[in-house]
Parts: sequence; structure tokens; C-alpha cells
Amino acid sequence: MLQIIRTEWLKVRSYRTFWVLLLLAVLSIPAANFIVAEITETIREQAQNKIPVNLYDFPIIWQSVSWINSFMTAVFGFPLLILVTNEFTYKTHRQNIIDGWERRDFVLAKLYWWLAFGVLALLTTMLTGTLLGLAYALHPFSFEDSRFLFYYFLQVEVSMGIALLIAVLVRRAGLAIVLYLAYIMLVDQLLVLIVKRKVGEIGGLLPMQAADELIPFPIIDKFIPDTNRYDDSVYLIMLLVYIALMIFLVFRRMLKTDY
Amino acid sequence: MSILSLHSISKRYGAIQALSGVSFEVPRGAVFGILGPNGSGKTTLLGIVTDVLKADEGTYRLFDEAPTAAQRRQIGTLLETPNFYHYLSAYRNLQVAASIKQRPEQDISRVLEIAGLTARQHSRFKTYSLGMKQRLAIASALLGDPEVLILDEPTNGLDPAGIAEVRQLILELARSGKTIILASHLLDEVEKVCSHVAILQKGKLLLSGSVAEVLVREDYVELSCSNNAALEKLIAGHPAFAHILQRHEHLQVVFSQPVDLAALNAWCADQGIWLSHLHIRKQSLEKAFLQITNN
Repeated sequence: MLQIIRTEWLKVRSYRTFWVLLLLAVLSIPAANFIVAEITETIREQAQNKIPVNLYDFPIIWQSVSWINSFMTAVFGFPLLILVTNEFTYKTHRQNIIDGWERRDFVLAKLYWWLAFGVLALLTTMLTGTLLGLAYALHPFSFEDSRFLFYYFLQVEVSMGIALLIAVLVRRAGLAIVLYLAYIMLVDQLLVLIVKRKVGEIGGLLPMQAADELIPFPIIDKFIPDTNRYDDSVYLIMLLVYIALMIFLVFRRMLKTDY
Repeated sequence: MSILSLHSISKRYGAIQALSGVSFEVPRGAVFGILGPNGSGKTTLLGIVTDVLKADEGTYRLFDEAPTAAQRRQIGTLLETPNFYHYLSAYRNLQVAASIKQRPEQDISRVLEIAGLTARQHSRFKTYSLGMKQRLAIASALLGDPEVLILDEPTNGLDPAGIAEVRQLILELARSGKTIILASHLLDEVEKVCSHVAILQKGKLLLSGSVAEVLVREDYVELSCSNNAALEKLIAGHPAFAHILQRHEHLQVVFSQPVDLAALNAWCADQGIWLSHLHIRKQSLEKAFLQITNN
């Protein structure tokens, strides 16, 4: 395992494009949340506290940052897409096997990145929440309701799982990025709308939507609870099923195909 | 012990049968040439042996054992094209390779020196010329001084000096006891450096064995005089006469046993024919190869 991680580190340590993409993904979290925090603060001040809610107060802050982040989960897919499709473009996926990796090692190498980016997104979100909370919260620090962070983490992992699967299936960087964006931004949302209208709540179980259902818009969900939705555990199980399915499909593809 | 043994390997790409039932063995210490025209299945065969391609049928063994990744780490391989990270320098690319092969990084400077790339080791791979990329791939195959090398068209893209250097290098490595599997469509390359050869055509193994046995070439004598028709009649009566290859400006005559040119000249003169041209030649390798592949 350490040998695989060390090798992956050697591949990227001086790769500028990768670091820029990763930095943008990480910075998008504090940047977006800071903007929203400033806007809501301004609205509150202008309304002279007639709206008694603060999105960046503890403990609701964990739901707020997760909800804001859920619009940007796709960003962590880009560095992963680049890392994987580069291997195909340069045919280094072949060379890695020729030089003595098992095919399984090659998939594990990419899964380590998949996990690492998810953890990075989670830690960045925790840090952002903590700092914005210290700046804007009226109540003391609390980890209550921090389960939303975990839901967000799962959504990032599902979104990167889709990126990984597309990357190993289509192999070309440009096409993979277009398909990934199209799925995350259009196809998933359209399918959710159509299935929910024609069939029912089962539309909420689609990959990107399942986590969205777990991270509803803060405050509003308390006033207008959605009575039709399944229990949280159903969405949670679906997310885990999607992750397992994607890992299985990626392994299957990479273990059996010609390189 | 054989380094590599293939048993009835077949591989199909859609309608194209890339390999059909190929079997042969590479003995330890051999410089084993896999010879065949473009598209004959050489790279497919080596791709299967290095696990980047999956055979439809058949099996292979490395070092008399079922193949594993650990065994591949004992083999230095250059397959088809040099595959490196374009944004990394030569040195850093070799660091990646050394890490996968689990070989010490101290060996990198040695192989870069052999490949003649020391001066450019910190340039990015994408700035390299075709020949330099090929040299880097050879350097990477040499990392860790493996006992077995698989080299697929190693002189591709090299200039004449580079080709000579690489052939010399292969000969030196062979002399030091290493086993080398060399795929090439270049006949003279195989004849110059290989001890054994397997000939592939359209995915089928035509022949395999020692180079001396497989690539047999007939000697022939080229002769002419003022009246070649008379000469042809005369030479047919020579005790060692076998057959005539060609009749153009000169007669090309194959004898059943080696003939001494001076004696042949005297023999003709005794019969009243004075030769204006007399030369012993070896059948070209290309012709010998075409004879094999046409049969």
C-alpha cells in the first residue's frame, strides 16, 4: 500500500495542472461559504434581525455548509478525472503493469486518490464551518448535527465514483469531462424530475439526489417537512450501494479489459 | 530452465485473428528474436506475456512458474512505444518506474548514462526527440539490471549511430549472460544479435529454433562470359551443379557443395570458355525470409 501511495506521489508532485485543479476544488469550499455567510449577514442586518435565523450559527452551520457545498461536489471530480485519463493518454497504465504492478494495484492507486480527495473535502468543510462559526455564530461551538458533514462526504465520494467510472470507460480526458459534467449538472437532475413526476419518490434515490435528499435546505425543512420522502436510512444505504457498485464496476473493467 | 514458455496462445481482435495457437520456449541465456512483418502479432504476443493484453486461449509461464507481477518486476520491458508521463523529467519518470519495480533509485544515473541521456535528465519528457524517448525507454528497461529483457523494436526511431549503439548494447548484455527477447521486423537486426528466432506471420508461428537453422541461406556463384547460353550448357555439366537461380547479365548458379573459384575458372577454361565475371555471393536475407514466409 505504501509503495503504491509513494509511486502516485512521485507521479503528481511536480504536476502543476493537477495541483491547480485541486487547489481550486479546495478553495471553492471556503470561498462559496464565505460569500453566502456575508450575504446572509447583510440581509440579517438590513432586516434588523426581523428574520431571526442565522445560517452560520451552531449547530445549523454544519447543515448549511454541507448544503452550500452540495452544489459544488463536482469540483473534486476534475483532478481525479485528469489523473486517471492521463494514464490512458500517455499509456502509462500499460507501463505500470509492464513494470510490475498487478492490475489491482493500478485500480487501488486511483481509489486512494478517490478516498483522499473525499477526506480532504470533508476536512476543508469542517475547518470552514469552524472558522465561519467562530466569526458569525451566536451560540458556542458544537458538533451537534455534524452528520450532515458525513452526508456531504458521501456525496463527494459518489460524484468522484461517477468520474472514476466514466474515466475508465471512455479513457479520453475531453470526452470524460464533458460526460461527467453533463451527468452531474443535467442528466441526474432531469431524471430526478421526470421520475419523481411520473413514478414517484423513487426518483430521489438517484445517485446525486440521494445525498441532496439527506441535506435539505436548512431551516425550511423544519417548517415544511417533506412527508413523502423515505427514511434517512434508505438514502444512506443507497449512497453506500452506489459507492460499492462503482468500485465493483471500475475493478471489473480494469481487471478484464486489454490495456 | 526456460525463461518463457508459450502454450497455444490465441488472440482475436474482432474479425482479425492476431495470434493463433502460438507455442515456443525461450531458453535461459538466449537472445531470442521474434521476427515478423508489421502486423504479424509480435507486439500482441509480448503484450500478453506482460499482462497488458488478455489471451483468448492458451497459457504462458515465466521462469517455469505461473506468471505474477513479482516476476514482471524481474524483467525489463520496452513494449511498442515509450510510455512516460509527459510533464515529468526523464529522471522523475525513472523514479516512478524504479518505485514500481522496487529497485533502488541509485541505479537511475547508471542507466541514464548508458542511454546517453545524463545531460538531458532534468528536461521534461515532452521536450524529447523520438530517438531520446526510445533511449529513455531502454534506460527504464535496464533499471535494476534485470536478468531478462523484453525489447520490442528497440531501435525504432534511432539514427544509424543510435541503432549501432543499441545493437552493441544488446550483444554486451547477452554476453553477460542475460536472456533477451527481441521483437523486430528487421531481418539483419535479428541475424546480427540473436541466437534463436521465432518467425511469425499473420499470427501464426512459421518456424522457431536457432538462427543458423532457421535462417539458412544458400551460397551461389555469379558468372558470365561473352556467350552465357554456352556457359549455361557447360555449367550444367559441372559435377557439383545444383540449379540456376537467375539468368540476367550474369548466371546465378547454386552448387551442391562448396566450389573453389580458381578451380571453377580453370575448369571452364579447359572447356574453352573464358569467364569475364566470377563472384561468390550469399543469398540475401530478405530472399531467405521470403522463401520461408511464402511456403
